[in-house]
Amino acid sequence: MNLLEVSKQAFVIAFLLYCVAFCFYVVTITGKTWKNRDPKQHERKWGKISFVTTLLGLLSHLVYVATRWAWSGHIPVSNMYEFMTFLSLMIIVAFTIVYLIYRKELVGLFALPLAIVVMAYAAVFPRDVQPLIPSLRSIWLYIHVTLAAAGDAFFAVGFIAGLMCLLRTIDFKGTDKSARRQKLWLEITFYSIIIVVGFIVSVFAFRASGYEAVFTQSAEATEQSNGTKEVYNLPPIVAPYESQLESADSFLGMSKPLVEVPSWFKGVNAGRKSNTIVWALITGTLLYGVLRLVLRKPLSEALAPALKGMDADDLDEISYRAIAIGFPVFTLGALVFAMIWAQQAWGRFWGWDPKEVWALITWLFYSVYLHLRLSRGFHGRKASWLAVLGFLVVMFTLVGVNLIIAGLHSYAGTD
Amino acid sequence: MIKNTKCECGHQNPVGTVLCEACGKPQFEEKTENSGELLEMRYDGVARRSQRANPNFIDKVWNFFSSVKVAVYLIIITLVGAMLGTVFTQETMFVTINPETYYKTKYGTIGHIYYKLGLSDTFNSWWFILLLVMIGASLVICSLDRVLPLYRALSKQKIRKHMQFLTRQRVVYQGPIHENSAAWIERAVTPLKKKGYRVHTEGGALLAEKQRFSRWGPYVIHIGLIVFLLAVLFRGLPGLHMDEHYWFPEGEITPIPDTHFYLKNEKFTVEYYTEDEMSEDFKDQGKVVPKLFETKAVLYQCVARCDDPLAEPELKEVHRHNIQVNDPLNYKGFQAYQFSFENISELRSVQPTLVDKETGEVYGKFKLTMNDPDTEYQVGPYKLVLKDKYMDFGLDEQKRPISKSGEPNAPAFLFTITGPGLPEDGGQYIYFPYLQQQQYYGQEQLNQRLGGTNNKLELDLAAMTDVDIIEYNSYLNIRVDRVMPFVWTGLGIVMIGLIMGFYWQHRRIWLRVDDGIVTLGGHTTKNWFGMRREVSSFLQGMGIEVDEKSLDNGGNRS
Repeated sequence: MNLLEVSKQAFVIAFLLYCVAFCFYVVTITGKTWKNRDPKQHERKWGKISFVTTLLGLLSHLVYVATRWAWSGHIPVSNMYEFMTFLSLMIIVAFTIVYLIYRKELVGLFALPLAIVVMAYAAVFPRDVQPLIPSLRSIWLYIHVTLAAAGDAFFAVGFIAGLMCLLRTIDFKGTDKSARRQKLWLEITFYSIIIVVGFIVSVFAFRASGYEAVFTQSAEATEQSNGTKEVYNLPPIVAPYESQLESADSFLGMSKPLVEVPSWFKGVNAGRKSNTIVWALITGTLLYGVLRLVLRKPLSEALAPALKGMDADDLDEISYRAIAIGFPVFTLGALVFAMIWAQQAWGRFWGWDPKEVWALITWLFYSVYLHLRLSRGFHGRKASWLAVLGFLVVMFTLVGVNLIIAGLHSYAGTD
Repeated sequence: MIKNTKCECGHQNPVGTVLCEACGKPQFEEKTENSGELLEMRYDGVARRSQRANPNFIDKVWNFFSSVKVAVYLIIITLVGAMLGTVFTQETMFVTINPETYYKTKYGTIGHIYYKLGLSDTFNSWWFILLLVMIGASLVICSLDRVLPLYRALSKQKIRKHMQFLTRQRVVYQGPIHENSAAWIERAVTPLKKKGYRVHTEGGALLAEKQRFSRWGPYVIHIGLIVFLLAVLFRGLPGLHMDEHYWFPEGEITPIPDTHFYLKNEKFTVEYYTEDEMSEDFKDQGKVVPKLFETKAVLYQCVARCDDPLAEPELKEVHRHNIQVNDPLNYKGFQAYQFSFENISELRSVQPTLVDKETGEVYGKFKLTMNDPDTEYQVGPYKLVLKDKYMDFGLDEQKRPISKSGEPNAPAFLFTITGPGLPEDGGQYIYFPYLQQQQYYGQEQLNQRLGGTNNKLELDLAAMTDVDIIEYNSYLNIRVDRVMPFVWTGLGIVMIGLIMGFYWQHRRIWLRVDDGIVTLGGHTTKNWFGMRREVSSFLQGMGIEVDEKSLDNGGNRS
């Protein structure tokens, strides 16, 4: 078995260990109300078990990084799969640090699922080791990307704590305008997370079944000299603009796309991307519907009781602290070192490339957050909403820019 | 109305003071409303310049920019502007296309509106630059407005504070002690010192303080940002900045316009990954991935006859570097970056042999360079005079030879040959160095028509070694950026400030004992959790058991 095989196994083991650790955290929190036990002792014991399991997962995750690094000769952060995997690793590291400071088991209950989702999302992208193109062959790849991921990971923990603070403080019985609005937006936040999960589920389900459909697009539609082929791995609901179906496996008797992408939606693989989005929405909504049926109430309301034992001020402070730890790291990794590298590779430290601009937007956003925290009354719910929104900005910078805008950093992403 | 700004302790405070500079007693509060609330501890409650009474015009401008609220709005507007600037490709990303039509054809009506709004060049637009300048102004004024009063307040702190000042901190403890007050205060010094505090005592009062320097973190960040922004603004001044792209053919010494530098591309290399270096999964995709682009460069500086177009300049080698992506040439701020390349396989020179067509006699060979050929050649008994050179050979409407362009697509050389067996004033002979072009343009027919050499002589390439080919053309980005040291300095200062401000906190603990009751007030700039833990552990050392959470005074917090 070569190193690359070891690395693939370690990835799977880390993923499974995180899942187990998450289950243990569920036991830690829910078990407090079980009969025949002292809640404090139970929490201490199971909290330790959960944390150790998380650390074992982290260890396996590190084995993945080390073996893949050794095999390929470069740090595995050079494409979307490797980066997202690394980000999930950094989220666990950031969680570990925050846990060691505050010793709040509940944070694990929310941080682990986030790391798991990010890790699963990573596996959607092509997993092959790609050789480094000349512009990536630099020591700054190691420093810039890893530190930027570390900064983002702390923002992610800030988001987690912020979300928990909202779950803790929003009055679910309230009927006034503000309470209803907050409940709605919190539910929308959870719905969006479920959509991402839906996306991952649908990709893996159809990948496992080996589904494929092929379209050819006419030369006029693609504005290229000859027509192009587009391969779908999800059953086509949306076809590329002005395209011919070449072949498609049948799915539930459906073998023809229902609609065509409108002409104004352009870009590389516009058809496949919109098809994927439609599938994510369908699967996510189905998942959400099932959860609603089982729980018989909004997800946020169902989760809120788990946070009863937690002090809202502590959550607010954890959120602030995580962001305050992450901000200098992010500045150094995503802006300063990025500028140094850009100066060395492209001869200019700043070029208003979309990825650069979005890193700046992230930075500006969190500097607004930090300035607002100076003012009276800006804490708790208000600050938490900003922490949640901030993570959306972070994710758009990391993923959205590559999928939608794509500039000089487009090599970091694939389809 | 003239406000009385004298505190009951006798200290005269400036207008706008929230907490007395000396004793810390809250000033001018309605007793009924706020008396229980936490104190506003920002900037230690000192008056800022912007709180001056009767502001004049300059004061008003100052007051505008000194507001954190205004700063936050400025940042948000900049943030939204930057977002808009990433919606469609910016004009600066493409060079050759006309933006007027580009946005309309590519993105339709929305694109046209985008262009008309000036968003197609957001980051160079006047409003975006104005925003950055305003943020700069806000950085300077906000900092100055606060840092000077704060510095004054922190450097002349009184140890004994007003009771209200202590009980309205966020961390508060009050409880009885069973010993002499002076002895208790004396006993408190050592454990606080152990925790890294600087301790000052005065009668029955104590002030412990640590890591005050972290208070200056935000201001250091702002100074760094100002240095950075100024460097970026001054970058536009003439002479500080150069950014050009030039082609450098292999083996040629190429002058770099507007400088006294010449750069020779000794050899250009492009390498690709072999299959052995790829993973199994990747190999199957059949992609070709480049591994290395390298230009072996030699930099020359002109030392004499530089500006005379007729004279041959005298060059001195000053620097040698193998330019790669991520590894530019840098000679005293003159920089060359690997940008692109082209495989041209172009002739540099040929050494044709002059042959007698009838007898087969070889007279000898001469070197003909494409770019800069000599005007006369002596080969055996024959003299060849270069009469004309066509870099891109063609025939005009009157069937006369012309050069269609300056590009060396089809070089042709017209010689006048004199020597034995040729007319007195010589015969004309045209020569195409590329063999396939000799066929294509019909060199033989052309020479028969010219007729001067009586079909007696011929230029022939004897061996491949007689051909010298330029394999690659390397495209380098030539840059000079005199402000870069300031950019890096600014960013360095920002980082120092960030670390100062975010990884340390300014913590203070006030203690006073009145009639056997000890009152403790604690303040930190961040991380109240850690502050409570520290205070609780300190009190424990003093023999007072207290739950961390119970120290929290609750209420409004910043």
